[in-house]
Amino acid sequence: MTEHSLWRFSRALHRAINDRHFEDIEALIDEDVDWAVYGPIDMFPFLGACQGKAAVLQVIRQLADNFHVRRFERESIMLGVDSASSMLRYSLTALDSDKPISLRVAQFAQFRADRLINMRVLIDTFDLVEQALGRAIHLPRMTGVG
Amino acid sequence: MTVESLNKQRVLHLLDTITRGDLEGSLACCTDDVYFLTHAPIDVLTHMGPRHGKAELREFWQKVSSRYSEFRYKVPQILADGDEVAVYLHAHFKKRGNDRVVQFDMAVFYSFRNGQIAQIREIIDSYDLVQQVLEREIGPLIVGEEADGL
Repeated sequence: MTEHSLWRFSRALHRAINDRHFEDIEALIDEDVDWAVYGPIDMFPFLGACQGKAAVLQVIRQLADNFHVRRFERESIMLGVDSASSMLRYSLTALDSDKPISLRVAQFAQFRADRLINMRVLIDTFDLVEQALGRAIHLPRMTGVG
Repeated sequence: MTVESLNKQRVLHLLDTITRGDLEGSLACCTDDVYFLTHAPIDVLTHMGPRHGKAELREFWQKVSSRYSEFRYKVPQILADGDEVAVYLHAHFKKRGNDRVVQFDMAVFYSFRNGQIAQIREIIDSYDLVQQVLEREIGPLIVGEEADGL
């Protein structure tokens, strides 16, 4: 039984972020990949949408510049023939401040010929911003408008 | 039909009942002890806290319905594995107060038990959602807090 593309991609991604070994991940990304990790790009420039292998590799390099993955746990995972979705709990360290950051991440990936062609990632970004700031964001309670 | 195909249809049926405003139809898709959780700032979006059981879920959906006149969605991706279904969806809500549209992408993970939804967990770009709901950017408020030494 052939290994699902997600496992190879996941291993290569973590190796790229933690060890700055980018050769494996480069081979697993399609030239025309469509990638989006939604979030406030003014605070985190590596968030947002980008297209093409070079742009995605640049994003992964920025992730490696900013974070170390201490631990991750898959809380839910679904594998299709050429697709996968998962909910993950990440424990990261922000390299500039040495702060621990804990994130819950939803990831939807699509592959073609074992290469990533589409990636959508959603994060509880309000929580991410508060952790990066190291304090709560004080806003009015939106009991009547939200 | 496989259990995966059936569960995908059940999720799409739930989304259709929500779109139609068929609250009882939506609740009929769920187990009595259904658990609902959105990973979002509940100190700001106070109604989005965890819900346990049909009564609490009914209250949540009623509250959303009282604030938004229209819900539309598109499902670009749906995957299933046994009793688990994951959906990536584009959601559009129209505010009753001023007809402004709140639109965002969300990841929803459903767990089934005996053909009914027993758990719903959502992940949203919550920073953007708060800005759309509040109709203002949060960034300047954060900068203001820092300047005030808060």
